[in-house]
Amino acid sequence: MQTTVVGNYPKIPNRPRPARLRQAINRRDRGEITTDELARVQDEVTVEVIQEQIEAGIDVITDGQVRWDDDQTYIMRNLGNVEIGALQRYLDTNTYYRQAEINGPVSWRGPILVHDYLFAVKNSTQPVKAIITGPYTLAALSLDKHYGSREKLALALAAELRHEVQALAAAGATVIQINDPVIVFNKDDIDLACRALAAMLDGVQAETAVYTWFSNADGMLPRLLDLPIDTIGLDFASGRGNWEALKSVRFDKKLGAGIVDGRNTRLESPDQVSQSIKRLSEFVPPDRLHVNPSCGLEYVPREVAFEKLKNLAQGARLAEGVPA
Amino acid sequence: MVTEQTRNQNAQAQNLTNTLITNAVGSYPKPDYLAKARTQFSQGKIDRAELEKLERQATEYWIRTQERIGLDVLVHGEMERGDMVAYFAGEPGGNTIGGMKLGGLVRSYGNRYYHKPIIVDKLTFPGPMTVDMWRYAQGLTDRPVKGMLTGAYTMVEWSFDEHYPSRREAVLDMALIIRREVEELVMAGAKYIQIDEPAIHTRPDEDFDLAVEAMHVTVDGIDAEFHTHICYGEVEKIYPDMLRLPVKQIHLAFKNTDFEYLDLMQQDTYSADKDLGVGVTDIHTRFIEDVDDVKDGIRRTLKLFTPERLWIYPDCGLKTRTIDEAEAKLQVMIDAVRDVKRELQIS
Repeated sequence: MQTTVVGNYPKIPNRPRPARLRQAINRRDRGEITTDELARVQDEVTVEVIQEQIEAGIDVITDGQVRWDDDQTYIMRNLGNVEIGALQRYLDTNTYYRQAEINGPVSWRGPILVHDYLFAVKNSTQPVKAIITGPYTLAALSLDKHYGSREKLALALAAELRHEVQALAAAGATVIQINDPVIVFNKDDIDLACRALAAMLDGVQAETAVYTWFSNADGMLPRLLDLPIDTIGLDFASGRGNWEALKSVRFDKKLGAGIVDGRNTRLESPDQVSQSIKRLSEFVPPDRLHVNPSCGLEYVPREVAFEKLKNLAQGARLAEGVPA
Repeated sequence: MVTEQTRNQNAQAQNLTNTLITNAVGSYPKPDYLAKARTQFSQGKIDRAELEKLERQATEYWIRTQERIGLDVLVHGEMERGDMVAYFAGEPGGNTIGGMKLGGLVRSYGNRYYHKPIIVDKLTFPGPMTVDMWRYAQGLTDRPVKGMLTGAYTMVEWSFDEHYPSRREAVLDMALIIRREVEELVMAGAKYIQIDEPAIHTRPDEDFDLAVEAMHVTVDGIDAEFHTHICYGEVEKIYPDMLRLPVKQIHLAFKNTDFEYLDLMQQDTYSADKDLGVGVTDIHTRFIEDVDDVKDGIRRTLKLFTPERLWIYPDCGLKTRTIDEAEAKLQVMIDAVRDVKRELQIS
């Protein structure tokens, strides 16, 4: 069994620790430091959050997506014929993302994530997975002024971002995870979402995962299990219906199980984590089970995120019968 | 002898013009001296009495400003509140509902962070939280001043919950707390009370019934005129369901979406027994709308509603604008209403 995370990690700690990244961005915005100087702070904070994840006991980590403003913008702003527009509420949260406006054929102009991935690998003693937002989610959360259909946009994004996935694999990424939460919000579009995912990952030489969150995959789980993807990530905290969905299928892939609520500060004890794992192991054997928070951890304060990961790791050890 | 209380009640009961009543949504920008004092207070450099003195000074400024510009119904401006939820949940200088506290920083977007409140225990009423400031503001003017509260659904939705087994239990307990505050405001003499629910459309399918139930718990059987303000998100998902909210008036941000909501109201008629609050100036822009542009919005709305059923507002609280911008946005609204009334020969 593997412990892992879904994506982002809180960028700034609370007092007495200094909010260095927040200050650095403010100073860059005021012209007091250069973008290169800001990038060095982002590097330092990335190293810090990598160390925190490892210290908490997580097996496979991410770079914390420290440089990402939100899950959409970091990818979209680097594609051709895209402009970054106004703030929009992100799904059912009280957080906001900048909506990308599609003004022409989207085009991949060169690696977006490869440098970040290599930096994280160099600074981690644990395996790192590469994270990229999925084509269906990017299409659904953009403002399309060119394609005239979500299908065309999603498939165009998949074709262009396939280059990014290939670049990551060529740079040595052994695990590439696609975060595609809107799939489980728009169930009628599951056919399109699956075609886009398959197209984006076509021919990639790496282990792959697709993660969803905030809702359940009830009714569409068989479709996800048909995908040529190794791991399916489901949110068992907000998407209680995933327990039922799990019962109704033969789950023959790896399961990325979000069993620690990434949206609430209430801590799950190691015992509770262990009990969730035992429940899951009725459906998926431990060697195909990854356990993680239900979503990225930026919805909770940094210190809570760390405690959540510690309890997750301890709970996993408890479930395996290893002394914590 | 005219006591302060009877004077306040008289102000609330005075006959309003009954067409195109002008009002504002809640918050105004804080003057620099108050913003500085709030920081000093949170650092322990000044005491609460000093902070309150400056809050009242700024409140008086906004009461006088609204009178000068010519609003019919006033708001006190929320000089004492940093955030509409956190004020009731542990914000420095706020009044905290029992069982709530402020948590660590979480990111809202970009480089913006806020201390998100946490429900850590059973919610309890701590005594009146908004009455002193309402009473002070109403004591300054003969025009009615609205009581301003945050609704139960929004209070819970914008907080973490470590105590209640379900959102439903938290929201309904919160509604009892807000109801107690409503009762206190009514006892103090408030006739108009606005209960803001900007989060109400977060999960329309799953939670809208709960939000309606919570509003019933908050207001049922209490003798006051209740308004609610809904903004930000996907209003189309909760229309016409929102008409089930037991309030006399619903206020929406019409200007920001170029009066698209009128299309919804053309398809499904708005409640005959409710007034409509119409946001006619966009609070997200620095740019001050042209008076003709604002008049155009009011005229478009008047195609579907009689003027007796419309109250005219900015889209939302003005606290993110500068003081000059906020006053200019109020002024253009008042100018537009005056012109439209003259053209229609209504008063």
